[in-house]
Amino acid sequence: MKGYLGQLGAVVRKDLTQELRTRQRLATMGAFTVLVGVLFNFSVDPALVSMQDIAAGLIWLTLIFAGVMGVGRTFSLEAEDGAFQGVLLSPIPRDALYLGKVAANVVLVSVVVALIVGVFGLFFQLDYGAHPLALALTLFCGVVGFVALATLFGAVTAGTTLGESLLPVLLFPLLVPMVVYGVGATNRLLMGRPLTEVEGNIRILGAFAVAAVAVGAGLFRHVVED
Amino acid sequence: MTAPGGPRLEAEGLARTFGAQRAVDGVSFRLDPGCVLSLLGPNGAGKTTLLRILAGGLRPSEGVVRLGGEALDTRSPEWQSRVGVLSHQGFLYGHLTARENLRFYADLYDLDDASDRVEAGLDSVELTPRGNDEVRTFSRGMKQRLALARTLLHEPDVVLLDEPYTGLDAHAAAVLRGVLETLRDGARTVILVTHNLTEGLELADRVAIQVRGRWVVDAPSAQFDAATIHDRYREVVEGAGGGAP
Repeated sequence: MKGYLGQLGAVVRKDLTQELRTRQRLATMGAFTVLVGVLFNFSVDPALVSMQDIAAGLIWLTLIFAGVMGVGRTFSLEAEDGAFQGVLLSPIPRDALYLGKVAANVVLVSVVVALIVGVFGLFFQLDYGAHPLALALTLFCGVVGFVALATLFGAVTAGTTLGESLLPVLLFPLLVPMVVYGVGATNRLLMGRPLTEVEGNIRILGAFAVAAVAVGAGLFRHVVED
Repeated sequence: MTAPGGPRLEAEGLARTFGAQRAVDGVSFRLDPGCVLSLLGPNGAGKTTLLRILAGGLRPSEGVVRLGGEALDTRSPEWQSRVGVLSHQGFLYGHLTARENLRFYADLYDLDDASDRVEAGLDSVELTPRGNDEVRTFSRGMKQRLALARTLLHEPDVVLLDEPYTGLDAHAAAVLRGVLETLRDGARTVILVTHNLTEGLELADRVAIQVRGRWVVDAPSAQFDAATIHDRYREVVEGAGGGAP
């Protein structure tokens, strides 16, 4: 088990070190987030629409679109010098490889989610004061569920001629349940509603995340191997 | 079943089909530890496909591979931890340093003495002074030397080399040749795929020529010299309708 965790940790360290050096994905996702915040700020008339009412949907859609831009590139970055082939020729268990990639992507997307919360809070004067921990937990469950599926389908699309452009087509339909429960919980939390109203949603988001990770870990081997 | 110094590598009836095409067609061999086999053949003969099967990157359609008499699934961690692969691609990450690349692979192979092996690997290919430089700043020759260190990091029983000299300058080729010489320690088996007949003959104990997926020559290298290997190659390849080396 120590070997398994060591192998998994090596993948996380490698992915995060690469990203810290290049900032390719973080820069793209971060710029996209700020631009979305700016555009929505100018495209919604606060005299007619309360930003608090639509903020939850905007947060989740920005998370997903920005996340696709970053997570979708996970495997194209591995293509240089055949590096991923070298990894696949090593004895690392495929589920450890998958979980390592998911963990690294969760860190990256979580950074972007923090930026989303900050940017949208600034532009739309959102009040996160009532239940900040519950909001953080809701978004974290969403990030894990999203990343688990996006990483799996990123591996699928990396081997196709359509590449990353195919990823949203395959991924988005599977995210519908997550968006429904995530937006529902976030909306209520931003409105300052009691936690009892969102506990069910958060449980379902948590179950979705766990199921997505389990399915991804089980299927990854079949996706990346001949 | 294990021969002195290391396990014997055997293949029996290896085949791989892609649709109707048989890229590898019934290849069998038995290589004792310490043996260096040069695998020659024209483009499209299926040499790289055979190497990919032996490396664990491709499942054979038919046949079995044994190491030390034990039949192993070439996709299993047990097999992959005993095989090292060097191809014209280095399998290296450009934005990691040389040391970080080796450390990453040491962790993937779950090596206990990873730090010592990384340093020894860098030293063996004369890259210690550049160990903390990102690989993207390396020349082609330096990348290939680092890739060789990566290949040997886990001290594999079987070393597979696919055109390792491609694009190397004289110094890098000399370093590579020097390291390959050290592999003749009787403990491991080396299969070298090359288009360079003379080079392949110089390094090898045995020579095989693969044409259209089949081994049409499999003989001790002592049977050939620089002239006769070219004659024999031309004879079997042209006879089978193959191309130039």
